[in-house]
Amino acid sequence: MTLKVALVGCGKIADGHVEEIQKMPERARIVGVCDREFLMAEQLATRYGILGKYDDYGRMLEKEHPDVVHITTPPESHLLLARMAIDAGCHVFVEKPLALNLRDAEALLAYATDAGKKLTIRYTYLFDPPALRMRELLVSGIIGEVVHVDSWFGYSLTGPFGTAILADMDHWVRKMPGQLFQNNIDHLLNKLVEFMDDEDPEIQATAWRRRTNARDDVRDEMPDELRLTFVGKRTPAHGTFTSHARPAAHFVRVYGDKNIAHVDYVSRTVTLEPGPTLPSAIGRLVPAFGQAWSFLEEAGRNSAAFARGDFQFFSGLNRLIAMFYDSIIDGTPLPISTRDILRVSRWMDRIFAQIAERGRR
Amino acid sequence: MKILVTGATGFLGGSVVERLLAHGERDIRVIARSGSRRDRIELAASRYPEARIEYVPANLASRTDAIGAVADVDVVYHLAASMKGAPADMFLNTVVATKYLLEAFGAGRKGRLVLVSSFSVYGVAKLPRGSVVDEGTPLETHPEMRDVYGQAKLRQDQLCRESVGRYIKELVTLRPGVIYGEGGGALSARVGLNLFGLYLALGGKNLLPLSFVENCAEAIVIAGQAATAAGEVYNVLDDDLPTCDAYLVDYKRHVESLRSIPVPYPVLVTLSRGLERYHRWSKGQLPAVFTPYKVATTWGGNRFDNGKIKKLGWRQLVSTQEGMRRTFDWFGRCA
Repeated sequence: MTLKVALVGCGKIADGHVEEIQKMPERARIVGVCDREFLMAEQLATRYGILGKYDDYGRMLEKEHPDVVHITTPPESHLLLARMAIDAGCHVFVEKPLALNLRDAEALLAYATDAGKKLTIRYTYLFDPPALRMRELLVSGIIGEVVHVDSWFGYSLTGPFGTAILADMDHWVRKMPGQLFQNNIDHLLNKLVEFMDDEDPEIQATAWRRRTNARDDVRDEMPDELRLTFVGKRTPAHGTFTSHARPAAHFVRVYGDKNIAHVDYVSRTVTLEPGPTLPSAIGRLVPAFGQAWSFLEEAGRNSAAFARGDFQFFSGLNRLIAMFYDSIIDGTPLPISTRDILRVSRWMDRIFAQIAERGRR
Repeated sequence: MKILVTGATGFLGGSVVERLLAHGERDIRVIARSGSRRDRIELAASRYPEARIEYVPANLASRTDAIGAVADVDVVYHLAASMKGAPADMFLNTVVATKYLLEAFGAGRKGRLVLVSSFSVYGVAKLPRGSVVDEGTPLETHPEMRDVYGQAKLRQDQLCRESVGRYIKELVTLRPGVIYGEGGGALSARVGLNLFGLYLALGGKNLLPLSFVENCAEAIVIAGQAATAAGEVYNVLDDDLPTCDAYLVDYKRHVESLRSIPVPYPVLVTLSRGLERYHRWSKGQLPAVFTPYKVATTWGGNRFDNGKIKKLGWRQLVSTQEGMRRTFDWFGRCA
């Protein structure tokens, strides 16, 4: 079975979806793209050789009869567009964040479940090669029992998207409750849920604006630094979103009772930080060689992947889409559980409420 | 007569405002987003104290802003375009922004639009080496095989042509070659590309279609003011064009000593075929920066003609030799 796929929202991230879908012709083909600005649908269709291009979403659903709709619009429209797709009999793949708040996320997931349709969200890094290797280490027991997790997400406000947000006081990112954070910290939080059993852990959030070139405009009070502390039943965690630390790092550190693993999503390495096993100065000398060897192994692994043509920017997205489509075609489990999606949404609500409360004070 | 200049705070925009003032325009509105540089405009305006320069902080990708920007305007000099960024952003800021500008203009005075398009809209990949590119050269028919800048400029050009009578009364189109000068980019891709510190000299003996920024601005204003230019297209480039090699030699002599190696055209074509094949095999692991089509378009080797803009009365204000000297001096000071 080859799924017919449609996409709505032809902005920057749509390219990633289209490119990865087109790499799996045995599973799916794109039948139409839609944007309320027709020129945007047209440019995407032209660049990727897609026949169907629309500025009327309802008409695209009606004419193309897609099996799956990818929703890559700003989050405020996700609920409405996903419901329309589900009503048209489609499964939905939604960009993060799923919705503007937990209430809408719950409503959307319930709507899909009630209709017997599948839904997933672009938590792409959960399926990137480093995440898969980290899970192998966890299963093998090398890390041991997890004592603590750090999730770090670095962002650049000088990149194309960051610049656009800063330049436009009415940018949709600024209109969300969590503003810049809401558009990014799915990627920070979704890496924590697999280590924490809690539905509603104790969360402490601290946010502030570090940039000094903000405008003399009340709307430019958007904070750009966020620190999070999570205390759950078993595994505590820290989260860092930073717009200013350079380089813009992106990693998870998993502190086990046997080893500490550093999972780097930028360099795609997973390295262990062994402690000294020998006495005295020798004990302090040897671990660096162990770490150097660990990086060398990772470099070799990545080079081999590159040589196979398997070192793609959107590896995780490709795997996620494939697993989602397989769940539709073969009935395999969804790649991301509904519970995890809702926990991320819930924690985001808590975080933004705390930031807003402190702002009022 | 009220004039609007989009992209006025960009590299070319300051010179266009200066030439508009020099040619007698006294009521100019410029789009200057918050944080953009106004020094060049202000310097030009200081020489014409009687002129009215109005700054509007509009984002043309917003319909509301576009309506405000064109209010009471008779002529729009449309320079704004996105030079880099993600493809969708480039289309949004070049093509969609132009659409909103046209719609807004159409709802108002429906006057003259002077579009600064680009040489990149021509479909030159299939032309034999040495063919002359002029205003009669066919436009690109395979935009999907070009880079995103070329695609966006082509769609923008087409959109403006479709809008004559509907949103605008008259269209004047200017298609400059490589605009250079103080404040501009260093070396055009037509000359070569920097690859991890090694400069690949790709242009060789090809003519470099230069247009010094002041000369380009002069051409834009001459055409913008000429009644006979309505509906016409003008290519904009200077006389005495150097070859890419000659330009690079001068650059190295006056600005910096680049480590460069010449890449003959047949070698470049062969490399591009290999890269395109690798790109397909690896499913896009490395971008297809070079494809045979892009190589033929950019480095195929054309000759150029500026006779039409000259017939309209345009004369080169700054000689190519002087333009290169001033540009390289400026690069040298920045280095």
